[in-house]
Amino acid sequence: MTGAMTGQPPSALAGLIVVETAERVSGEYTGKLLADLGAQVIKVERPGGAPTRAMGPFRGGESALFAYLNTSKQSVVLDLASPADRALLDRLLERAHALIDDHDEAGVRRLGLDPAQIAARHPALVHTLVTPFGQGAPAQFQNLRPINVINAGGWAYHSPSETPPGKPPLKGAGRFLPDYEAGIDAALCTMASLLRLRRTGQGQSIDVSEVEVQLNRIDCVLDRMLAGDADPSEERTAYDMGGPGTSFACADGHVFLFMTTQAHWKALCTLMGDPEWASAFREDWLEFDCTPANVASFRASFGEWIAFQPKLAITEAAQKAGVAMVPVNTAADLPVHEQFVHRAFFQQAQHPTFGPVAYPGACYRMSATPVLVRSPAPTLGANQTEVHHA
Amino acid sequence: MRDRGGPLAGIRVVELTKVWAGPYAGKMLAHLGAEVIKIESRSNLDEMRAYGGVDIDAAPYFLSINQEILSVQVNMKTPEGLDLVKRMIAETDILIDNIRPGAMERSGLDYESLKAIRPNLIQCSIKMWGTDGPLGYQTGYAPCFAALSGLTALVGHEGETPKGMNIRYGDSTAGACAALACVAALHHRESTGEGQFIDLSAVETMTSLVGDSLFAASVTGEVPEADGNFHPEMCPHGTYPCAGEAWTSIAVANEGEWLALCAGLEAPALASDPRFATLAERLANRHALDAELGALTRTHDAGELAETLRNAGVPAFKSMSSLDLCTDAFLWARDAYRMVSDHRRGTRPIIGPSWRITPDPPLVERGAPLLGEHNDYVYRVLLGLREDEMDDLIARKVID
Repeated sequence: MTGAMTGQPPSALAGLIVVETAERVSGEYTGKLLADLGAQVIKVERPGGAPTRAMGPFRGGESALFAYLNTSKQSVVLDLASPADRALLDRLLERAHALIDDHDEAGVRRLGLDPAQIAARHPALVHTLVTPFGQGAPAQFQNLRPINVINAGGWAYHSPSETPPGKPPLKGAGRFLPDYEAGIDAALCTMASLLRLRRTGQGQSIDVSEVEVQLNRIDCVLDRMLAGDADPSEERTAYDMGGPGTSFACADGHVFLFMTTQAHWKALCTLMGDPEWASAFREDWLEFDCTPANVASFRASFGEWIAFQPKLAITEAAQKAGVAMVPVNTAADLPVHEQFVHRAFFQQAQHPTFGPVAYPGACYRMSATPVLVRSPAPTLGANQTEVHHA
Repeated sequence: MRDRGGPLAGIRVVELTKVWAGPYAGKMLAHLGAEVIKIESRSNLDEMRAYGGVDIDAAPYFLSINQEILSVQVNMKTPEGLDLVKRMIAETDILIDNIRPGAMERSGLDYESLKAIRPNLIQCSIKMWGTDGPLGYQTGYAPCFAALSGLTALVGHEGETPKGMNIRYGDSTAGACAALACVAALHHRESTGEGQFIDLSAVETMTSLVGDSLFAASVTGEVPEADGNFHPEMCPHGTYPCAGEAWTSIAVANEGEWLALCAGLEAPALASDPRFATLAERLANRHALDAELGALTRTHDAGELAETLRNAGVPAFKSMSSLDLCTDAFLWARDAYRMVSDHRRGTRPIIGPSWRITPDPPLVERGAPLLGEHNDYVYRVLLGLREDEMDDLIARKVID
């Protein structure tokens, strides 16, 4: 349907049909990125529903995770182990432009959905397969979970900055951070290949490694080690930058302070009312005397001061004074944050089960083709009839 | 320019970018086959050409990002230089910048003005807060936008001040999202002929990475907090201490994996301990469980333990240090790291793209450019200048 027919603004991927057989967050997020950009994404669910429908949190018996990951998509239920349903999938793929999957090699081969078979049967299809270590990885690497991926890619070992050796590496924000990162690369490649499909009529196989996405995101730190410009090590601090920048507890939450220059330091001293303890530091200590002892001493004194400051008022004053100190915003802060409100980052909508909800939007505002949640995540098999008549 | 193949072959990108997020966007597009031209100037260098050395043509930070990028010199502070930049933009499909808020507009490089020279231009501006709004004037550093975004608040050891991801996190992801939006815009242009302006917020990039947590908060009213390695549907789920201050990640999703873990650790007592009999019990007693497991894992080599557990059907992987990553045979064998040309050393290893594309893969073979390495191509071939015209621009430092 065109924008004119539905009253919705035009979308970047209008007219493109994507079939999603993915059942993990990395593949489902790939599909969400494409669906909110306007592609018709047909989600193929197993009988009983996609595994993410069974993952919490729930309200009214429905998964909020599923509702987030599957906006703007359609749903059909197919038992791909049954020849009749498998044939239906082939019919869907005949008229689709892309297939998004995230299953392991044994799984895709069993269903005839491995890259070689897809390329042979559907030469005009872009086939994107996103897996923990990519195609050809040992079987035991292929069912790793997000926490394994973020540890395998190095970010966990080095997060947070300055973690001492005795404390555990962390999984990142939420449950699925490496899945979202991989989804971005997978959607990017899929769209690039779809452009080529428009121009040449030919499909491609795309193999995305979730771990390699993790590696790529740290290119200018890790590559210097690979190339011998810096020393790789067992240090938990190997990715760190040094300096006093970190989070601090304040009166009603947390703030993050980043400080690297004499100008930053002078501005901070002014903001604090030039306390006595600050005079023990050289004016240019951040550039020329930024020793671990000085950082520790600074943090101890600053920590006592900031502990009594209110988060929003002090960070606002800091910005005006030229101090890079910002609030550590929480999920409660963002929907009422002036900049987020101005940019309408959250899309207010009515969800059939949840009632009023706020969908976090895309980080890119596109002037001609706004990114939108076009419809709530589908009910199971919502588009079954259309598929059977396809 | 040589044909590198790949899905974006034939697409040209001009970038006015510095440091990390912008150049990373250019790199992503170049690694998909686009021709990416970086506009540079000796008097206004990308800081990455200065960090970690004195030779601007061999700066490690710059070399580690800008592979398969073309470099052209222009002094944009001269009217003639600015005019040349506009002539380059007239020949491009995509323009990307991540310079200070307002700087593009002051140079007359705002979208409305550029549309007059290139009607179907796709322009993407990467800013901390996007291009408008009450805080649109602010600039910042990656750890600041992670803090502002809601992401930092969710990363920390339980009960402690949330310290967030490593301080390096954020820039590269913003660049990846910029590349993604540009390619989406290419589709709209392909079907309608219309270009557009893309306004990317680095803060919102980080926010989008915690989208499910924020959406869940809007549905349930519960505000999520930093939760260490807690997972409401898997237990045990975390990183466990091993010999030599190494760690191994373990994620157990069902009873079969739980029993396999107990067997793998040769701990039958754990398997029959009523505190850990079901997922609900394990979640309720997870701190005790983590302590028990830590006592068992502590004597093992992290890599060997992870392999043993994987072979037993338990998802596990060593928490990789930078040394582990640089020396990992599997990653080298799979071309996760690959060699490109290097002007000084002959070759240089790089972190390769996360994708493999067949057939017609995009070639990634050339390292980062020398400053102005592609002046001839851009001025003579693309803009059609005569040799004497170009020499004159060099003499007058318009090309510098």
